[in-house]
Parts: sequence; structure tokens; C-alpha cells
Amino acid sequence: MTDKAAIAVDTLSLGYGSTTILDALSLDIPRGKITVLAGPNGCGKSTLLRAIRRLHKPSGGRILLEEGDIAQLGERLLARQIGLLAQSPSAPDDMTVEELVRLGRYPHQTMLRPWSLADTEALERAMAGTGVSHLRHRHLGSLSGGQLQRVWIAMVLAQETDIVCLDEPVNHLDMSHQLDCLDLVRQLNSDHGRTVVLVLHDLNLAARYADQLVFLRNGVVAASGRPEELMTEALIAQVFDVDAMVITDPAYGRPLCIPLRTR
Amino acid sequence: MPLSRPLPAGMLYLCLAILLAAAMVLSLTTGYRVYSLAMVWQALTDFDASEAATVITTLRLPRAVIAPLVGAGLAIAGVQVQTLSRNRIASPDTLGLNAGASLAVVVASAVFGVSSLVGLSLTAAMGALVTSILVFALAIGAGGLSPIRIVLIGVTIAGLGQSIVQIILTNNEAQLQNLLFWLAGSFVDRPMNLALNGAPIIAAGTLLALVLARPLDAMQADDDTASGLGVPVTLVRIGCFLSVSLLTGASVAMAGPVSFIGLVVPHAARKLVGLRHGRQIVAAALLGAIYATLADVAARFVIFPLEAPVGAITAVVGGIVLVVLLRRRAA
Amino acid sequence: MTGLPSQLSQARAPLALALLCGAFLLLGACGVALGSTWIPLEQVVSVILGAGEKTERLIVLQLRLPRVVIAALAGGGMAVAGFLLQKITRNALASPGVLGVIDGAALGVVIFLAALSNESNALVTSIAYQPLAAMVGAVLGIGMVFFLSGRQSTSAVRLLLFGIAVAAVFKALVMVMMLIGPIYRTSQAARWIAGAVNEINWSEIQVTLLMLLPLLVLTFFAARRLPPADLDEVSARSVGLDLPIFRVAIFALAAGLTAVSVAFVGGVGFIGLMAPHLARLVVGRNVYAGLLGSFLLGAAMLVGADLIVRVLFSPVEVPAGTVTAVIGAPYFLFLLMSRQRHDG
Repeated sequence: MTDKAAIAVDTLSLGYGSTTILDALSLDIPRGKITVLAGPNGCGKSTLLRAIRRLHKPSGGRILLEEGDIAQLGERLLARQIGLLAQSPSAPDDMTVEELVRLGRYPHQTMLRPWSLADTEALERAMAGTGVSHLRHRHLGSLSGGQLQRVWIAMVLAQETDIVCLDEPVNHLDMSHQLDCLDLVRQLNSDHGRTVVLVLHDLNLAARYADQLVFLRNGVVAASGRPEELMTEALIAQVFDVDAMVITDPAYGRPLCIPLRTR
Repeated sequence: MPLSRPLPAGMLYLCLAILLAAAMVLSLTTGYRVYSLAMVWQALTDFDASEAATVITTLRLPRAVIAPLVGAGLAIAGVQVQTLSRNRIASPDTLGLNAGASLAVVVASAVFGVSSLVGLSLTAAMGALVTSILVFALAIGAGGLSPIRIVLIGVTIAGLGQSIVQIILTNNEAQLQNLLFWLAGSFVDRPMNLALNGAPIIAAGTLLALVLARPLDAMQADDDTASGLGVPVTLVRIGCFLSVSLLTGASVAMAGPVSFIGLVVPHAARKLVGLRHGRQIVAAALLGAIYATLADVAARFVIFPLEAPVGAITAVVGGIVLVVLLRRRAA
Repeated sequence: MTGLPSQLSQARAPLALALLCGAFLLLGACGVALGSTWIPLEQVVSVILGAGEKTERLIVLQLRLPRVVIAALAGGGMAVAGFLLQKITRNALASPGVLGVIDGAALGVVIFLAALSNESNALVTSIAYQPLAAMVGAVLGIGMVFFLSGRQSTSAVRLLLFGIAVAAVFKALVMVMMLIGPIYRTSQAARWIAGAVNEINWSEIQVTLLMLLPLLVLTFFAARRLPPADLDEVSARSVGLDLPIFRVAIFALAAGLTAVSVAFVGGVGFIGLMAPHLARLVVGRNVYAGLLGSFLLGAAMLVGADLIVRVLFSPVEVPAGTVTAVIGAPYFLFLLMSRQRHDG
């Protein structure tokens, strides 16, 4: 593990029964950067993200944080290192925004140390940082999809972890809310130097927001590096089975993929 | 903007506690005969063996104590199962736990001759525990069932339990009279001992529920999110099953299956204090105690001079609340 | 519909129905023959034909035969009601027991017994009106369920939940009515609620038969217009089947059938659920065969349940309804779990 890596995945294998999902996968996730995991359906990207948060038990290999092997860490300690926004999170419709964001403080409390001033401050910071403070007494059921996603991000933020994992956070959002949500993620990264690991379906969004892009295929890392290095016609064809044209987008100078046909 | 900021919790608890005390006084003083507060006070502090004092201490007092215990127990159990199954129409009855506890008691007393109150309370708790595991195992076995289907499973299992109870009872004429009355669900004619045996079990269940309050908060979100927050999900579920079983078992042992308290009260509690379980549990306990006590008082008057089983009253109220919830698509 | 499966089932239906008929007759004969004393089958036949000794005549004609006949009628009637409900809601989980029908009928019966008894506990009117009271209550019950569920009534699972809520309220009211009434009515009503086929007399059977027959004839004529199960609601409506008024009529018919069936026997659960399913398995998808098969199966099931009760628990009279519940509840659970994906 290099000291620039926040997470080092070391020959990780994982599967259900006889199906292998991750096959001796190794990957360094750099500290303070945005890493985007991408790949075709069933490539294991969500499984890898969940394994990093120890929601799956690996059959081999290990995942190292600065604090050590995640397999050795206690529940709360791990939850203070890594925050997770699950793929389709759910909470009761009549829960208020504040009640949900409060949940993020769970790992910081113990039986003997209940809610404290520090928790209140973290709660306020998280709501202010995501711009949902004015919604605090609203019920979740009354929010729009975009607002709801911000609230969920606020909850993960309130956890105040160095590493934040988000599993397809923009899946059900329309275009403006997708941008809104990912801009928010980038801001978290640049303002607080948090390490962000994202699973994204949309290659162009991935290229636009990633510092490091990781292509997974069949449970192994097919390629990883800066988006400019990875977004090549040859690699996309190899990983996604799609003939594509890659151009540089005129607005942001990021690579832009135009899919042509499946191979 | 829905509901403004809730009352300060402490103030609210105080108001509810005062209401509960008032309800208990009402339960001690009113009924077929009405006694003055002074007479009740004298009977309780300085027993003089008069008819009034006897009625107050042997008939009125046990039910004035058992009703709030049962109400609180079922309400706290209701809060937990509603969160655990992420289902606003779950309750110890709609999940079949009341029926499971009843069946266990009937089997224990009719078949195995168990008669000690502690033994029956623990048997009831075991019955509730086994049923809760059965219902959730069936639900998980079917690949995670929708909330509605869990309730249908629970209600069906309840029906099954009731049928088996009926078969056992028709075959044990001698036990029938004792148990039939108990099975109707009522606070009438319960010995004070029952309350003294039930109270510690209710207390233990409540304590466990309070310990689990914060993890339960996180369990309102999906399993992945809760695990992501560091909640040991399986451990919390087991703890809740245990707590719910103790609470339901002790309640059923004391009063028989009194229906729908666990369904109705948590909704009122959430309206008052929001979704944090620390508050929800305390509020539900107080509200459940008040509700059961008042229902018990009402049961003395709806078909005066006869007494209706309190279960009939809570069933009518519960049925109506269930319809309202269903119409609002709360479930 | 000339697909291969339907041809196959049509070819198999008569044979299956004949087999069912044979099984039912056999069960019925056993029902008469078995009991505290065994009466050989040939003697049963001779008694029914008008011969036989006095005690045997008494046992067969006054004690056992009425039981078997009422069980057959009630089981068959409930099965047909279940068949109609499952067809019209397109859901295998629907049955009279869970749509408030039986509890409604129970309320009708206890109110009838309570309101029309005089001081000395005798009914001031003919017992023949009891099915009518049950029917009014049943229609009230199912009507409440549909009225309250409103637009949600298209989802069968939600309908069941409304049924549970309505049933809970009705049950409580029944309990209170029973408490108010004197002992005679209480025991009468208690026996009724458990669902038992003992202590039935011929005049009650006469009443049941007189009311059940016209309803069954109506059902037979309505069957032609029942929507095929594999047609969705919109297309059924577009080809002129499944019109709202027809739906209401079918629900009323099912409620009536259930009420008459349970009027004297009481709340026997789950037959209306199980019999139509098994009938479809045995005789295929043809509507008429399904109706007939459901009736035969339902009849055989309740006669069988009564037989089980008599053989297993004799001399104690355990209500037959408990046996159908003990067998039916796991079946319902199985359905509930296996049909998870269809709606929810």
C-alpha cells in the first residue's frame, strides 16, 4: 500500500456459490481523489464497492485502509472511516429530513456518549453543505427526486468519513439533477479533500467527474488511469463491446464517447 | 409544511403521565359501582374489609395495574415490529404473535398441565418468539416479501393458531371454562399476582427496546444503509425479536390476546414525537397504557350493566384505524 | 381458444369429473357408514331405499345423512362462491372467507337470533329466515370491503387487507352481541361461528336447498360471461366482458352463495379458496367443468373434514371448520409465497 492510496484492494476474490464475481482483483484508490468504477453490467463494480464497505465477505484477498485490514476493524470504527450511499436507499415517507441526516451520526455515538454538541455541529454542516437546511422539517415523501438525493448525500456527509462510497447515485435522476448531484460530490471532494469512490453507468459522466477511472470486466480490472488515458476507442471496444468514437468535448476538454454500434 | 416542531419531549411525557394517572384513577373509581376518590384512597392505604374496599383492592386494583402494563407492552412491541418489518400495519396481532402466544399457553396448560403464572408467562413469550421467527423466516424464504404479504402470512398463521386452540379446547372440556374467558382478551378478574409476575418481564422487554432504540433508528432505512452506518443488523433483529416476544408474551399471559393496541398506538406516538425511537418508545408506552386503561373503562359501559371484553373495543377501534391507514396507502 | 392445452383439458374434463363424482359419493357413503357405530354400506343403501331396522333408520336418516347432505351442500356452495370470486378478481387468493363475507354472515345470524327471540329464548319467527339474515349480513360485509377499498379494490391483496379490517370489526360486534344474548343464543351462535355440521335437521336442509338451487342456476347462466382468467381487465372490458355492473352482480352472487351455504353450518374457512384451485388442476380451465368440479370438490372436502373430525376426535364434537382451517391455512401461505411476483 503506497501512502498516496486511501484504499488498497489486494487480490480480492468474491463469489456466490460457484459463480465468481471478483477474481483476484487488485486496485489502489488514491487519497483525496474521485475514483469512478465503470464497466458493463455484471462486471462486479457494485460488488467491489460493497466489498470495500464490508457488505460482502470476500473469499480471498484483503482490503487495506490506513487503519489496517477492514476485516479486523470494528463496525463503528469502519463506519467512521467509510460512508456508503446505497444503490436505492429507502426510508419511511414520514421521516423528516433532519431525522434522516441525524442517522449519519450513528457510528459516532455510544451508549455512554449519546448525542453531543459535536454531533449537532456535524449535522448542521452536512445539511448546510448540501443545501438542505431549509428542508429540515419536511417529510421525505414530500421531496422531489433531486432533493431526496441531496438529503441522502447529506446523511452520508454527516458521517464525516474520509472515504465516501456512492453506488450509482444518479441512477433515477433527470439530467439537471444528475449534474447537480455530481457537482455536489465534486465539491465535497475539493472542499474537504475526501476520497470518493463512485459507481457510474454513464461513461461520459464518469469521464467528466473522475480523477481516476477504473474499467472492470469479468471481475478484474481491465484498465485504470486518468480518463484521458482510458477513454480510447480500442479500450471501450474491448471492455464494453461497443464500437465508439471518442472526441474531446469542446466545453470542458474532457473525452466524450459517442457509441456507434455494438460489436 | 407538515407538522410544526414537536413539543419538547419532557413536557409531553409529563402531560401523558398525568393523563395516565387520571385514567388509572378513573379505572379505580368508576364501573358498575362508583366510588369516591376518598374511598379508593382509604381502601388502598387502610384496608377495612368493607365491601367497597374489597371490590377496590381485589377487582379494581389488579385491572387498573394490568391494563396499563399490557397497553404499554403491546405498544412498544408494535413500534419495534413496525420498524423491523418496515411496515406500518404490522403489530403483534397482525404478525400472528398474539395467537402464537395464546396457542403456547393453551398447549402448556391443557396438554402439559403448566399452571404457575411465571411458567405461563414464559411459555407465552416462547410462543411469540417462535411465531415471530416463523413469520419472518417464511417471508425471507419467499425472497423478501412485501409488507402486505407479511401481514397476510401473520394473519393466516393467527387463524391457524386459533383453530388449533379450538381443537384442543373442545377436547379438554375441563380446561375450557378457565381458558375461554382468558382467550377473549380482558383485564377482568385477574389476580394481582399476575401483574406482579408480568411487570418485571414487561420492564425487561422495555429496557431492551430502549437499548436498541438508536440502532432501530438506523434500521428504518434499508439494510445496506443501516449496515453502512455500522449497525449490526442481524444482532439488532435478534434483540428486537427477544424484546417483542417478552413484551407480547407477558401481555398475553396477563390479559389474553387484546387486539390491535400494537397497531394503533405507534401511529399516534409518531404523530406526537416523530420517528426517533428513544422518544417513540416512551411515548408509545405512555399512550398505550392510557389507551388500554380507557378502553377497559369503556368496556364497563358499552353494554351496561354487562361488561364487554376490552378486546372487542380495541378490535373495533383497530379495525377502523386499519381501514383509514389502508385508504391513505400508509401501507 | 383452440390451443392445444385447452383441447387436452377438454378431453380430460369429463373423465376427471366422473372420477370426482365417484370420489365424492364414496366419501359420502363413508360419512354415513362411519361413526360411533359402524353401519355396513349395503344396510345404508337399504335404509335410504326405505327398508332397514328402526335404530339403523334413526341413526342413518336423522343423525348421519343430514350431516353429510348439509356438508356437501355447504362445501359445494362455498367452493362455487370461491370460484366466482377468483375468476372475477383474477386472483387466486380471493375467497369468501377473507372478503368479510363469512363474518358479515355471522353478524347477520347473531343479530337475527338476538333481535327475534322472545323472553323465553324461543325464536318468534321461523328458523327458515336465518339464511336470509346471513345473506343480508354477507352482502353488507363484502359491500363494506368494496366500498371502503374504493379504487384499491383492483388489487386483490389490498382487498384482502380491507377484508381483515372489516372482519375484525364484525367479529368484535359478534362477540358483544353474543354477550348481550341469553345462554341459548350464545351457545347457538358459538356453535355457528366455529362451523359445525352436527345437529342439523332436515327442515334446515330443506331451507338451504331451496335457496341454494336458484343461486346455482343463476351462477350457471352467469358463467358464460365470466372473463377468461388469462385476459387482462382492459381487454376483457374492450370485448364486452367484465363490465362493472356484471362485476357487482357476481360479487353479490358469491356473497349470496356463501351466506346460504354457511347459514346453518357456520364459518367454515378455506374451502372457497382451495376447492377452485384443485378443481382447475384436476379438470382444466373450462368454465362449466370448473364450476362443477369446484362444487364436487368443495362438497367432498367438507364431508371429508367432518369425517376426519368424527374419526379422530370422537366422541367430542370438534367443529369441522377447524379441520379445514388447519389444512387450508398452510395452503394459503404456500399460495401467498409462490405468487409473490404477480402483485403486491
